[in-house]
Amino acid sequence: MTTKEKYKKVAYYPGCALEGTGHAYNRSTKAVGKALGLDLVEVKNWNCCGAMEVKNVDPKLQTYLSSRVMSVAANEMDMDVVMAPCNGCYHNLKKAEYDLKHDKESAAVVDKLSQKAGHKTYESGQVETIHALDWIKETIGEDGLRDRVRNSLKGIRVANYYGCMYTRPRHIFPEKDAGPGSESTSKPHFMDDLLAAAGAENVEFPLKTACCGGAHTLSDSDTSTKLVLNILKAAKLAGADVIATECPTCHTGLEMHQIRAEKRLGEKVDIKILYFTQLLGMALGLKPRKVGVHENISDSRRFLKEKGLA
Amino acid sequence: MPIHEKSLIRPENLKTHDKLVIDGIDVSGHWSTFIESRVVADYNEALEEEIAALPGGEYIHRCWQCGSCTNSCTVNAINPDFNPRYWIYLIRVGMESELLRDKDIIWQCVSCNKCTYACPRDVFPEGVMKATSHWLERRGHTPKSPSMHFDEVFTEQIVKTGKIEESRTIRRFFSRTNQGLFQDWMIEMVKRLLSGLPLGLLTRMGLATFVAPRTSNWSKASAAMQEYIDEQHAKQEEALTLAQLVKVAQKDAA
Repeated sequence: MTTKEKYKKVAYYPGCALEGTGHAYNRSTKAVGKALGLDLVEVKNWNCCGAMEVKNVDPKLQTYLSSRVMSVAANEMDMDVVMAPCNGCYHNLKKAEYDLKHDKESAAVVDKLSQKAGHKTYESGQVETIHALDWIKETIGEDGLRDRVRNSLKGIRVANYYGCMYTRPRHIFPEKDAGPGSESTSKPHFMDDLLAAAGAENVEFPLKTACCGGAHTLSDSDTSTKLVLNILKAAKLAGADVIATECPTCHTGLEMHQIRAEKRLGEKVDIKILYFTQLLGMALGLKPRKVGVHENISDSRRFLKEKGLA
Repeated sequence: MPIHEKSLIRPENLKTHDKLVIDGIDVSGHWSTFIESRVVADYNEALEEEIAALPGGEYIHRCWQCGSCTNSCTVNAINPDFNPRYWIYLIRVGMESELLRDKDIIWQCVSCNKCTYACPRDVFPEGVMKATSHWLERRGHTPKSPSMHFDEVFTEQIVKTGKIEESRTIRRFFSRTNQGLFQDWMIEMVKRLLSGLPLGLLTRMGLATFVAPRTSNWSKASAAMQEYIDEQHAKQEEALTLAQLVKVAQKDAA
C-alpha cells in the first residue's frame, strides 16, 4: 500500500486542547478532511497524551499515557496510522514511540502499567503517528490542492509558524531531514507548501520554529508575552497579514499574549492569527463559520471579507 | 579563565585602595582594582549524582562545555543570567553555593528544546533544567515554582480522570498560586472570545466546567499511575540521601 492510500483513513486523535480552547482547530481539521474526501475515525475513549506537564513530573508516566492511545488505535481499532493535529500530542506520541524502541526501562514501566490498567501493552512500530500536515501533504499534495481550490488565498500574505514541538528534538522524528520530499527540522516547509498551493503568498519568516513560551503561558506570563511579542513583530516586519498556526497551544498563546502585550506593555501588533486548516478550508470553498473562524479570539472576520473569503 | 571565575567579578568581591604602595610602586586609585582572594571549601561533591538521580538529569556527565545550549537558548536571549552551560558546569564541579545564586530563575526554562537540538553530546539540557528545578525544591532551597504547581495540578487531573478540562485546570492553578483569575487581560480575552461565539457553544463550554470530560474505565489506570508516582518519589528521595551519605563517608575516610 502506498503512503497516499494508507493515510486516507486514519485514527484521529484530537486531544484535550482541541475539545477546549483549540476547538476551532478540531472543527476546521474535520471540515477539511471531509471536503477532501479523507476518512477520520476518532480514537475510542482516548486519554490525554501526558503533555509537557506529566513529562515534567515523570517522563515514563507520559510515555505510558501516550502509549495507551496508540494501543487503543492498534489493538482495539485495528488502525495503523494515528493522526494528531496538536503539536503537543503529535510530539508526545512520537517521543513515546522512540522511548519504547530505545529505552528498556521505559518499555518495562509501560508494560507494567498497561497490565495493571487492563489493556494490551503497545509495542513500538504498531502504529505510525503523523501530523495533520503530513496527512494532507501525502494524501492530496500540492497538485491535488491546486485542482480543488475554489477560493484562492491570493493576496493573503502568510507567516507560517510551526513552533517547537513539531521539529524538536530531532531524534524523535526519524522521518524528517531524510532527503527530498521530507520535512526539514531546521526550516520546516510543509505548511508553506500547502498554503502556497492554495494561493497564499508566504513571506520569508525567520521565527518559524521560535518558542511562544507556551509551557509557561500562565506560570511565567511575562516571559511568554515577550516571546510572543517577538513573533508577532517579526511576522509583521516580514510583511505578513496572517500568522498561520498548526498547534492549539501556540495558537492560543499568540492570541492571549497579543492581548496581554496590548494591556500590559501598550504594544499593539495588528496581525491576524488563523489555523492553517482554517485557511485551507476557506480556500476549498468552506464558509468561515464552517472552519470555526468565529471561535478564534483574534477576530479576522472583517479581514477575510475584504479578501473575498467570507 | 574558567567560566565560574568570570562571575566572581562582582561588586562585593572587588577591592580598590585609595592609598596602596606595592614594592615601592604607588598603585593607589580605581585603576588598580583587585578581586578579593578566596578559598572555596564548600564543594558538594555529590551534587552531580543528585541531579542525575532525578528524571531528566541522567546524562549531565556527558557535557564537555561547548556552550551550544546557552547559545541557542530562548530564555537566555531575554535574560542573560539564564545560562544552562554555566549551571551544568557548577553542578559537575559541585559549586552548590554558586548555583544557588540563580535558584529563582532556573525553573523558567520554557522547554523549547533548542538546547537539546543543538547539543552535540546528547546531554538533554532541557531535562537537566527540569531535574535541577526539582532538586532545588526537594532540598528546600526554593518554594514550589508556579510551573511546578501547574504541572502538579495538571497531572493530578489526568491521573484522576484521564483528560484535561482546561478551565478547571486554570482555576485550580490560579487558586493554588494565590492569584486572582480576573486579570485585565483575561477579561479582555474572554470579552473578545464572546463576541464571536454562538450561544450553543458557550453552553457546551459552560457545561464542561460542571461535567468534566473523562476517559471511561479509567479507575485501574488511575490507581496504577498513582502507585507508580509514589514509588518513584520514594526511590528518588532515597537516591538523594544515599548520594550525599556516600560522599560524606568518602570524605571522612580520606
